[in-house]
Amino acid sequence: MKISLTRSDKIFLGTVFAGYIAVMVYMLATGYKFQLEGVGQRWIYQLPFGEGPMSRINPLTVIMTWVIMALIIFVATRVKVFKIIPGKKQSLLEVAMEYVYDLVEDSVNKKEFVRPIFNIAASIFLFVLLSNIIGSFPGINAIPTDGGGFKITILSDTWYAPTSDLNMNLMLAGFVFVMSHVFSIKAKGFKSWAKSFFEPAWPMFPMNVIGEIAKPVSHSLRLFGNIMGGGILILIIGYLAKYFIVPVALWGIFGLFFGAIQALIFTILAIAYISSLID
Amino acid sequence: MEIGEGLMMLGKYIGAGLAMGIGAIGPGIGEGRIGASAMEAMARQPEMIGTLTTRMILADAIAETTGIYSLVIAFMILLVV
Repeated sequence: MKISLTRSDKIFLGTVFAGYIAVMVYMLATGYKFQLEGVGQRWIYQLPFGEGPMSRINPLTVIMTWVIMALIIFVATRVKVFKIIPGKKQSLLEVAMEYVYDLVEDSVNKKEFVRPIFNIAASIFLFVLLSNIIGSFPGINAIPTDGGGFKITILSDTWYAPTSDLNMNLMLAGFVFVMSHVFSIKAKGFKSWAKSFFEPAWPMFPMNVIGEIAKPVSHSLRLFGNIMGGGILILIIGYLAKYFIVPVALWGIFGLFFGAIQALIFTILAIAYISSLID
Repeated sequence: MEIGEGLMMLGKYIGAGLAMGIGAIGPGIGEGRIGASAMEAMARQPEMIGTLTTRMILADAIAETTGIYSLVIAFMILLVV
C-alpha cells in the first residue's frame, strides 16, 4: 500500500512534528522532570452555590466534550456536499457510516426503526471513537495540586479523553437505556411493554428490573475501565521507562487499537440493547 | 507513621493486588478458549481468516470486561479511598 500525501498535508504534518520536537527540546533544556503526581486525580471545580457531589463539575470533561463536538460539526460542514466520486474525507466517512448501517440493519428486524437507531448509533460511535483516539496523542492536560488549584501540563501527558470520566459514560449509557425503552413502547405499545416485565411469571418482576438496571451499569463501566485503566497504565509504564520510545507503542496499543475496538463494542452493545427490546 | 495508618495502607495494597490477581483468572481462561476455538476454525477454513480475526478480537474485548471491572476496583482501592 502506498500512501500519497499532497503538499499541504506534508507541510501540516511537518509543522506538527517540528512543534513536538521543539517542545521536547525546550523541556529537556529547562530541566523538566517527569513525575507521577496526580495520577488518577481529576481537576474538580466546586460551584459557588449548592453543596455536595451534585454541585461539582469536571471542567476538563466539559471542555473536551465541546471540543470534540466542534470537531465533528466542522468535519460535517466540510463534506456536506456528497459527490459521486468521493474525496479522501468523504470516502473515510462513507466507510465508517456504511459499517454502522450494516450492523444496525443486520440486528434490527423492523424496517421503520432502522433509520432512527442508525442515527443514534452513528452519533455515539463517532463521538466515542474520536474521544478515545484523542486520548492517545500527547497534548494538553490539567492535574490538580494540593491547594485545590490545578496545573496545566503540556505534552507530558495525553489529551484528556472525556470517555475516561465515568459521568460521561453513564450519560451515554443512560441515554441508550432511556431510548431503548422509548423505542420499545413505540414498537409494542404500552401494555405489552409493561407486561414484558412480568415474564415468564409475576414473581420474576424484581429479576427483570435488576436485569434492566444492570445493563447501563456494565455498559458504562466497560468503556470507563478500558480508557481510564489504559491511561493510567501508560503513565506508570512511561514513567518507569522515563518516556523513552515506549509510550509511543503504548499510545498505539491502548489509544488507537483498544480505543477503536471499545468504541465499536459500545456501539454494537447499544444496538443490541435497543433491538432486543423492540422485538 | 501511626500503626492504624500503616495497617490501612497494608490492607489497601494487599486488597488491590488480590483484586487484580484473582480477577484476571476468569478473563484469562475465557480469552484462551476464544483463541483456541478461533485457531481451530482458521485451520479448518483458511479463507475465512479475515472475518474470524475481527470476530475473535471483538469476543476477546467482551470477555475481558470482568477483568476490567477488577482493574477499576483495584484503582479505586489504591487512588480513591
